[in-house]
Amino acid sequence: MNPGAWRPAIAMASRNLRRNRVRTVLAVLGVCIGVLAVAVLGIFGNVLALGADDAIGDIGTQVVLSPNADAGVESLSEADIAAIRRAVGEPAVVPLYSDGAVVSGPTEQGFATVYGVEQPGIAFEAAEGRVPERHRQGAILGAGLAADLDVGVGDRVEVAGGQTRVVAVLAESQTFSPVAPDDAVFLPESAFAADGYDQVLVVSETGGEARAAADAVRESVNDREERVDVFELAAIVDEIDEFFDLLGTFLLGLGGISLVVAGVSILNVMLMSTVERRQEIGVMRAVGVTRRDVLRVLLAEAGLIGAIGAAIGTALTVLIVAALVAATPAVDAAIVLDPTNGYYLLLALGFGVGVGLVSGAYPAWKAANERPVEALRS
Amino acid sequence: MYSVALEDVTKRYPGGGTEPVVALDAVDLAVDPGEFVAVVGPSGSGKSTLLNVLGLLDDPTDGRRLLSGTDVTSLSVGERTTARKESIGFVFQDFHLLPTLTAVENVALPTAFDPGDATDRAASLLERFGLGDRLDHEPTELSGGQKQRVAIARSLINDPDVLLADEPTGNLDTDTGESILAEFERVRSEGVAVIAVTHDALVEEYADRVVELTDGVLVGGKPREGDDGNESDGNESDDEGPDLFGDPSPAPSEER
Repeated sequence: MNPGAWRPAIAMASRNLRRNRVRTVLAVLGVCIGVLAVAVLGIFGNVLALGADDAIGDIGTQVVLSPNADAGVESLSEADIAAIRRAVGEPAVVPLYSDGAVVSGPTEQGFATVYGVEQPGIAFEAAEGRVPERHRQGAILGAGLAADLDVGVGDRVEVAGGQTRVVAVLAESQTFSPVAPDDAVFLPESAFAADGYDQVLVVSETGGEARAAADAVRESVNDREERVDVFELAAIVDEIDEFFDLLGTFLLGLGGISLVVAGVSILNVMLMSTVERRQEIGVMRAVGVTRRDVLRVLLAEAGLIGAIGAAIGTALTVLIVAALVAATPAVDAAIVLDPTNGYYLLLALGFGVGVGLVSGAYPAWKAANERPVEALRS
Repeated sequence: MYSVALEDVTKRYPGGGTEPVVALDAVDLAVDPGEFVAVVGPSGSGKSTLLNVLGLLDDPTDGRRLLSGTDVTSLSVGERTTARKESIGFVFQDFHLLPTLTAVENVALPTAFDPGDATDRAASLLERFGLGDRLDHEPTELSGGQKQRVAIARSLINDPDVLLADEPTGNLDTDTGESILAEFERVRSEGVAVIAVTHDALVEEYADRVVELTDGVLVGGKPREGDDGNESDGNESDDEGPDLFGDPSPAPSEER
């Protein structure tokens, strides 16, 4: 009705708050702690989720296709590979031969999976040496196998009786997958005499792309006949994400409890303050101040407590999070600076002010609606 | 036309027992513009109830209430608030200034939430009451007489028709009380009806008319009529009406 009336109301409210400083400061502190709890726990949960996403992201980006033995498909032909490429579109498709063989170094020897791959560079990264775009000669060793055999780039190894030279050692893999590169050796396709592929890796940029690729394979390649088994971890990643969502909500709930406690303390402060100032409010009403304006003054008091507490709490949250980043090298600064964390700051700020207004509403309404005749009676 | 008038007004409170307490019994009262009326009577005679009913803080059970000729017997809460702001000034025994506001802000309090700034008007009112150098003082920095002057200035901020005073000199020494009464004299001379409830004989000296309230029955309520129409036999109930303005005696209605 009259937005201009808020200004005198806020001016009057701030003076009333200054009258009992200790009480005001304590109520502000309550909101501050509540907001701090919501914001810090919210951001904490979010950082955990983001960090986990970052760490397990690779799992979700690979889809492994293999021939469906149940349907009598023993291997995947060039035609199958072409169909898969058409189906998945953007993501890279890496067909693999696979076999098992004894691999020996100069001193040690062990059993390893042997893959035949033409384009290892798409799917794997080297820790030592260089993974060639097109694999024509030599062996690429998984990190685990290289360590077991105690060999490095340039050393000679014997794979199933044939001598070859190590051209690269792969970085340790962080994915769970039927294609486990750590204990495998990758040879050029020419080393295999087989006429069909045993596995196909589909490497995507994101989990969403991997899921789409897997769905596309199910729909087109497996349309008439279940030719391939589709193995994807995106579904597991979804479950993990869900868990972190739940964890985030749980942490936010914990913070919320302290905010509710802060709300109760505002309620208490406002009730005490309106009871103490009963006569003053009665005088205001008697000399012609409307109930609406009395309500305005008292709501402004509660709102100010909430707003000041929320502002301080938010500022403290920023400091605490900054200190956390500075003190914990393990926490990636990029994750903490993620814009979604700002959302938790705003959420906590809004909750703080909201808690003030909601808890102030009842005492304000009660005081504003008291009959001045009753209030003036000493 | 009277500034304020009560016609056959009765105010009953639900008492502790089955009998309601009669605080005002068929009261007729009329006050001319510029008239100073003192209401006297023993405590519990219903004086404060009378002021509350006159001041639109409380509604009569029966009868009519007129403010400058307009019937204001039954108004909504909001209408009563507006009518109080525009037409009625209050002066209390305990001054009742807001401690967080300066003198000038206290004077402007009734208009504080209205568009426009009444500070100039409030300041000139205070200057009129000799408080031009106290504009920004808080109530704790003012003497009793100064506080009461601030309260009178507040009551006049909206040019009221009626000024209602409850024991205006009750908390002041004789000299200060006299100076406050001199202020009422000036207010009255500007055409504002002044009704003061009092125990103070000094107030009676300044008043144009003294009316007596005993057990809710008012004597001499109408001007120019004498006492004929409202003779009281004093045979009303012994129950005390509630004293809403500063009288420490507990009233039955407080138990509600």
